[in-house]
Amino acid sequence: MSNQPPAGKPSTANQILDLLLDALLERQAARRTQSLSPESKPPVSQPPPPRTTQPRRPAPPAAIKEPIRRQPRPKPGPGDEGREPPPLLPSINLDKTLSRLLVLIAVLILLVNVPVTRHGVSLARIMPDSAALIIREGLILKGSGPEIFKLEDDKLRWISSLDAFEHLGLQWGDVHLVEDQFLAKFEKGRPIHVLLKCDDSPHIYRLENQEKRWIKDIDTFMAEGHVWEDVRFVPRDYLREIPDGPPIPEDAGPPPQL
Amino acid sequence: MKDLAVIETILRNRHHFFIEIRDGVGLREKMRAMLVSSIMFLALYGAVLGSTHSLWQALSSAAKLPILFLATLVVCSPTLYFFNVLFGSNQSLTQNFALILTAITVTSVLLLSFTPVMLFFLLTTSGYQFFKLLNVGICAIAGWMGVLFLSQGMRIVSAAGRERAGARRNIVRLWIMLYAFVGSQMAWTLRPFIGAPSMKFELFRQLGGNFYTNILVSLGEMLGFFMVK
Repeated sequence: MSNQPPAGKPSTANQILDLLLDALLERQAARRTQSLSPESKPPVSQPPPPRTTQPRRPAPPAAIKEPIRRQPRPKPGPGDEGREPPPLLPSINLDKTLSRLLVLIAVLILLVNVPVTRHGVSLARIMPDSAALIIREGLILKGSGPEIFKLEDDKLRWISSLDAFEHLGLQWGDVHLVEDQFLAKFEKGRPIHVLLKCDDSPHIYRLENQEKRWIKDIDTFMAEGHVWEDVRFVPRDYLREIPDGPPIPEDAGPPPQL
Repeated sequence: MKDLAVIETILRNRHHFFIEIRDGVGLREKMRAMLVSSIMFLALYGAVLGSTHSLWQALSSAAKLPILFLATLVVCSPTLYFFNVLFGSNQSLTQNFALILTAITVTSVLLLSFTPVMLFFLLTTSGYQFFKLLNVGICAIAGWMGVLFLSQGMRIVSAAGRERAGARRNIVRLWIMLYAFVGSQMAWTLRPFIGAPSMKFELFRQLGGNFYTNILVSLGEMLGFFMVK
């Protein structure tokens, strides 16, 4: 038995190819007609081009006749050819809405910046800010207790009195309220006292409760944990105006007169 | 308040707005309206940022935020213009300027829309690093939307000169990266906008470090890896 078709009779593969070719030619012709006269209807059935070699074949199986799917053309983007501009939308008075929003926000900004506490703290800055801190030299911190600390060399130095606080040029706004656990992260350093001295006298005084306390001698000075760097020089008259308090130690006798 | 009408045109009828820019219709009026609106919106957003620190910081940030965006515009627009011309664009520098201003206007109106959110977090949280990163995130979203508008506008405006349109599109993409880079460095130079809570008010901070390392450090502190000193 031979697989070759009989002479003059085309093979099945050839028949299928011919049918596909016919379908393509029909399609091309239809498109050409459409593009030449867009108004006119596309020809439903056009005679196939004349054949010279092959006679008309019988209808192919249904699976082969499936039409070739067209790729959907991408939607043209803005600025692309063939893009239709969208219709002009009617106004929704956005300008009025915006101006109201602007006024509202401006009023809110003013409100959150108005001081609401006796210390002049506004709503915008009223939250405890331990989480917000950038740790830096000179930071003033306060926990749940009354003590206020100054951070120096990664150590917390207790500011011993209101005089010392004022002498450091601090205000309540400089104090950052933090949790006690946050304070516990740091070592304790020397307390900060206000130590005053004038040029004309060798005596050193510690300012406490708006009184000056005479420090008897250098040994006492050292024993109290003071260092020379903490001593501030002030005019004699200023020092004289501050009332005397008990000396350090208290049995040191009467303080010298300036 | 008449200038605010331009926002509606940009947001709702952007195609027609860009076509008018392409045709040079009322360019000056458009630019003035966009400039006024952007300055107002950015100033309010800046004031909210600075309110976390002090009243002075609020005023300073209200002035500095519009300067940041407008200075970036001035620095970057010649690059876009000349590269576009090199690749066959027939737009004028004014049209380029108007297009970038449109992007800034969109960014600023979106920032304004985020202002109540920022106010909410301002009143309910005290985390400086969180607030800073939230602001960076919001600015990134608003900025991204702005440059999307710019990209769309460029396609419409340059539709007339079809030659080398693809190359110009790539230029816009590259320029957007440059714009983001210049903008972030400009922000770093003009900082502080929020103001670190433990530091006194300062109009400008000393230069040092850069925007990107600072963001990484903030992320590190917020996630608990280390403490910023």
